[in-house]
Amino acid sequence: MEANKFIVPIGPQHPALKEPGHFEFTVDGEVVTDATIRLGYVHRGVERGTEDRTWVQNLYLIERICGICSHIHATAYALGVEKLAGVSAPPRAQAIRELFCELERIHSHLLWVGVAAHEAGFDALFMYSWRDRETVMDLLEGLSGNRVHYSCNVLGGVKFDIDDTQRDTILRGLEFLEQRTQHYLDVVTNDAAFLRRTRGVGVMTREQAIEYGTVGPVARASGVERDVRVDAPYLAYDQFPVKTITDTAGDLEARFAVRVRELFESYRVIREILDNLPRSELAAKMPRKIPPGEAISRVEAPRGELFYFIKSNGGEKPERVKVRTPSICNFGSVGRLTIGHQLADAPMILAGIDPCFSCNDRAVYITRNGDTQRWSWDDLCRYGVANAE
Amino acid sequence: MSIIALLIFPGGLFVLACGLAYEWVDRKLIARFQNRVGPRWFQPAADTFKLLAKEEVVPAGVNPGLFTWLPIVALAGALTAALYVPMAGLAPAFSFPGDLIVTLYLLSLLTLCTGLAGANTLDRFSIVGAVRTLTQLFSYEAPFMLALLSPAIVAGSWQISEIIGQSSGQWVLLSQPISFVVALIGLMGKLELPPFDAPEAETEIVAGALTEYSGRGYALFRLGRDVELLVGLTLIAALYLGGLSNPLDFLVKTVGLLVILALIQTLFARLRIDQTVGLWWRYGALLVLAQLAVIVGTRLVV
Repeated sequence: MEANKFIVPIGPQHPALKEPGHFEFTVDGEVVTDATIRLGYVHRGVERGTEDRTWVQNLYLIERICGICSHIHATAYALGVEKLAGVSAPPRAQAIRELFCELERIHSHLLWVGVAAHEAGFDALFMYSWRDRETVMDLLEGLSGNRVHYSCNVLGGVKFDIDDTQRDTILRGLEFLEQRTQHYLDVVTNDAAFLRRTRGVGVMTREQAIEYGTVGPVARASGVERDVRVDAPYLAYDQFPVKTITDTAGDLEARFAVRVRELFESYRVIREILDNLPRSELAAKMPRKIPPGEAISRVEAPRGELFYFIKSNGGEKPERVKVRTPSICNFGSVGRLTIGHQLADAPMILAGIDPCFSCNDRAVYITRNGDTQRWSWDDLCRYGVANAE
Repeated sequence: MSIIALLIFPGGLFVLACGLAYEWVDRKLIARFQNRVGPRWFQPAADTFKLLAKEEVVPAGVNPGLFTWLPIVALAGALTAALYVPMAGLAPAFSFPGDLIVTLYLLSLLTLCTGLAGANTLDRFSIVGAVRTLTQLFSYEAPFMLALLSPAIVAGSWQISEIIGQSSGQWVLLSQPISFVVALIGLMGKLELPPFDAPEAETEIVAGALTEYSGRGYALFRLGRDVELLVGLTLIAALYLGGLSNPLDFLVKTVGLLVILALIQTLFARLRIDQTVGLWWRYGALLVLAQLAVIVGTRLVV
């Protein structure tokens, strides 16, 4: 610890973090004057792992990149591989995939509401939102038999169909959830004590949101209309579209409001899908070897744009799978936004991006001489291009 | 007789057991309000025994003497305070003119010891926690004292038993609602209960000033806090809710207050430390002062 510099370390093990990351907040009294972020504690070598597994085996591995948005990873991968193979999943499969995506978004957002409320010491909201989240977990379990890794995707389609009983159960569950969500929207936008911790905290302007490269609900809360589901519809999103939810305030309250209001869109689109589920096969035939080529697949995960780059050399295994999760895009904003705020706000601003650590730990870069390293945007571009070749 | 009063009833063992029971009621109520199951009735006692049995790690860089004695002093202060309040609805074990002031100071000892304990260690969470604990102490202490002194001013005595006798079953709460609210909220600030738990906000500074404490020291601090909860509730119930005439009366009034505390703890998000200070000095202190002015004014006129 240097003289005159008081650093409060958050992590890698800390009650505020559910996964390991390391944040150093330099404070002057209670005010944060500098913040650094270190990630990479849960690097698991998944990308390298995909190169040793066949195209089909990879679905199993890739679904385990994230324990919250497992389905969206498998979907992004499946879409990319299908693009390479020139196969497209039948309409019913696409619709069921979208349905799972939206159910997953519901459970992810409800989970986040709870976690973020807990960071603010509002445990009542935490407990209630997690109780209600069980409803959607039960729905997912009823559909797939699993609470977390639904493994509903196969290459070329889905495994499960949805029958009428399941449909009715989902509709009943959604009705309950919609009521509760209405209540949560009321709480996060009207509860005076809670607003004292969220309104005007961590304000990010539209320009900043674009400059820091934020994605997903974080960007949308700052008025950036960016949603892959709308901008570049995949799955059945052109048939069952969603509206982009934005807010202009850019503070924590807006991030709460955007996520909670997105839930209503999800409820609406799920009902629409269930009412108009196309009739078709559940899966198309996929070749065992995928033709050589490169494919990019972009989907909207609950946390923002999820990006997959898949390269095939014509064999049974992929040559390269590159995953870029939304959290890595949003982390940059945390360091900037906490500066000037109270230390008490720092965990909330961090939680505000809904960070997911193990998904984004892709590579560890260790320097032996000196601890810090600064890379400019140009350096990063050069590094990225050099490695792609 | 006085040794029994000191060690078994109404001080000592009785207060410890009762404090643990009240902690359980508090935790259980909050859990039920939050739609959780909550702990079993012996959980606080089990926690305490477990902690007492564990190894106490004395971290490097602390003054070992202070580290060991601070929790003991904190608990002793709270236990001593219990002797001057009408515990269990009976007359206080000890009483002398001015014991209200002594009790208030004994109650502050716990917070002071917590702050010192945090400042004694090198841990950064502890230091931030200690600063916040002491900041909070300075913000609620004056309003809290004024709030508890206003019934004394009306009664014209600094002796707890005499103040209660003077009010003769009248609910001071009705004539001095502001200072009742301030006293109750002040007690929450003293005990660092949510939403005034910024000094030990786990999502920011782990456990605040007590981060480095484990084993016996931590158990004693926890016990001290339980005892202080009990003493504080007793004091407020006795001063504001028309005295405590028998054990049943005591039970009903203190548990009733505890329900209110648990509700407040459930309803609000944690206040930042600057918000806590602002709340106390902008509203708490001014309101109590205003009420005090009215009380003094009426006394002068009448």
